[in-house]
Amino acid sequence: MTETNVAAIIRPALDRGQEALSEYDSKKVLACYGIPVTREGLACNEAEAVSMAEETGYPVALKACSSQMLHKSEHGAVLLHLADSKAVREGYRLIAERATASIDGVLVQEMVSGNRELLLGLIRDPQFGPCVMLGIGGVFTEVLEDTAFRVAPLRHGDAEDMARELRASALLGVFRGQSAADLGTLSLSLEALGRIGMELDSVVEVDINPAIITPKGEIIAADALMVLRSEKPAQLRTPA
Amino acid sequence: MTAMTSTLETTPLYRICNPRSVAVFGASNRFSAMGTTQLTSLLELGYQGAVYPVHPNEATVLGRKAYPDVRDLPETPDLALIILPARIVAEVLEACGQRGIRHAIVVSGGFAELGNEEGRAFQAELVETAARHDIRFLGPNCIGVVNPHHRFNTTFFEYTCDPGFIGMVSQSGSFVTQMFDYLGRFGLGFSTGISVGNEANIDLVDGMEYMAACPNTRVIGLYIEAVRRGRAFVEAARAIVPDKPIVAFYAGGSEAGRKAGRSHTGALAGPDRLYEGVFRQAGVIRATSIEELFDFCWALGGSVRPKGEGAIIQTHSGGPGAAAADACGRAGVTLPGLSPATHERLASYVPGTGSVGNPVDVTFTKNPLDYFSTIPEILLDDPGAAGLLVYFLVPSRTVKRALEGMGVPDEQVDEQVLVLLAEQARSIASFRETKNKPVLGFSFRMREDRFIRELQDRGVPVLPSPERGGRAMAALMRYARYVDRLTSG
Repeated sequence: MTETNVAAIIRPALDRGQEALSEYDSKKVLACYGIPVTREGLACNEAEAVSMAEETGYPVALKACSSQMLHKSEHGAVLLHLADSKAVREGYRLIAERATASIDGVLVQEMVSGNRELLLGLIRDPQFGPCVMLGIGGVFTEVLEDTAFRVAPLRHGDAEDMARELRASALLGVFRGQSAADLGTLSLSLEALGRIGMELDSVVEVDINPAIITPKGEIIAADALMVLRSEKPAQLRTPA
Repeated sequence: MTAMTSTLETTPLYRICNPRSVAVFGASNRFSAMGTTQLTSLLELGYQGAVYPVHPNEATVLGRKAYPDVRDLPETPDLALIILPARIVAEVLEACGQRGIRHAIVVSGGFAELGNEEGRAFQAELVETAARHDIRFLGPNCIGVVNPHHRFNTTFFEYTCDPGFIGMVSQSGSFVTQMFDYLGRFGLGFSTGISVGNEANIDLVDGMEYMAACPNTRVIGLYIEAVRRGRAFVEAARAIVPDKPIVAFYAGGSEAGRKAGRSHTGALAGPDRLYEGVFRQAGVIRATSIEELFDFCWALGGSVRPKGEGAIIQTHSGGPGAAAADACGRAGVTLPGLSPATHERLASYVPGTGSVGNPVDVTFTKNPLDYFSTIPEILLDDPGAAGLLVYFLVPSRTVKRALEGMGVPDEQVDEQVLVLLAEQARSIASFRETKNKPVLGFSFRMREDRFIRELQDRGVPVLPSPERGGRAMAALMRYARYVDRLTSG
């Protein structure tokens, strides 16, 4: 079931020659692999955006949804903490104006609270093949460069070991009145990224940045990017 | 589980490291020739197998009967050692193949390492020729192997230390040959050292698998610039590590290797971080320098695996003990307090001037010999001690005076000093078996000191500083953690 869902998302993107999946599609693939993602919907007009926001519950985040804008926040196409329908309507208009590339719509997303941010990712190394990464995420990611890599697939104990390897591993423990991060979910998510690396040849890189650790310790993918292989691999094209 | 199921004799490196006979191409009577130097090394170590120099015009080479052609040899040798210009190597290998030779070491440079088309073409030709004849070969662009247990040395350098227990697989020949003297200074040696060169046919992973099966190898040391078969490396290491520790020094983690990825993850995937993860995942203990690589190999090869965390430091001098404690702390070794039972047992041995914390600083003991027997025994019995780190300083002169004071006749004193030092060293060495816990020493004196030499010769690793001792203890603890993880779940 997962396989068909995933193929139904990736195949059309490859056929259209997309170099990446949009955030919305990336998260759908991640969700198929059991990685917890934010609740969200794709709105194509203001009214839809408002009704999705009402359903999700305020505050919400609005984001331009496009497979061509890989780093949305740099284009001002991400608005956070929108508290009511007025803010959502204005936000929708603003994002539509600012969009530098063609967008699929505007993503209406639950706001996940939590000031601890992780980066979970996947790369393909020429010697080691698919490798999973855990790092400290958020705006300081590149400054801190606090990362741990493992070759996919992960085995029992590998994910916990990655968490221990981080210099800032204490962030994952009980922190300023907040609960320790749920290591079960973290392991499951890292292992899932490893499986994506092993099973989906057309996915060359994945970023989940940030995965937010909530005050209760839940871990939720708040943003995601899947980079696709530019040439279309045979096994994902319709075999008929 | 390929590594553990393959027996020594079936590994491709077996006949390369343990040949019964060798044909040597490129040695002559010209002493400046590389091949001549290498044949000299081979003969100097007292190789017992047959040696067949192949030379177009010489009747003898270095006093050995030479043969004009590989076809003229009286038997098919196990191994061809080739030290000839790159452009004729494939042709020689072809002749070897036709003669039935199935193993070779290609020392010659001038292949893919040049980075040009000609070099790559020569190497491709070599690989094809080998495949045609089922030849397994080491190199090209390598210094070959040293296996002192087989008195076999194909390198340019004379093997000067004793046969040892460190199995070295290196992507630099220098870290095999130029370490002979260095290891000798600590009484260490190689079980086998392999320079893998361009890895055109046999690579680092093959080397690891050979060392895993090699009975003389107690610990595997790796010098790595780039792992070619990444996933095979991880699999092989995971299979080997529960039985034999692997230590690696990785040089090559320059930022130049960083690929421009489109994701944050790609941008952060610098080789140094990637290798760090690979080593941890595979259970390979990473050293941060060549010096540390051999320190760790020494400690791991000379010790039983600790069962848990926590070390006790024993000293009679405050500063060295404190420095060792500091090093342990930085390296992540915990120093637990002593148990009440240990306190009680120690009370009659440690004077009021001493300290029974951790480090245990005994200052002056009533009976100086307690330092080598009763005290370490009590400390090793402490349930919190997974290992013991002991400071050693026993000047022979002090022992001599003590014996004179005890009334030992002058003419017997020198001999009795040696007897006494040997007995104390034996006592320390015996704890590895009787207590089944690692005991590491540290000292500022090395083998010029009789007692340190006695300890090292009995297999007690005595590291040359408190810092290096503390870090080596940390490597032992890390190994225990890796084995626990790899063998659970």
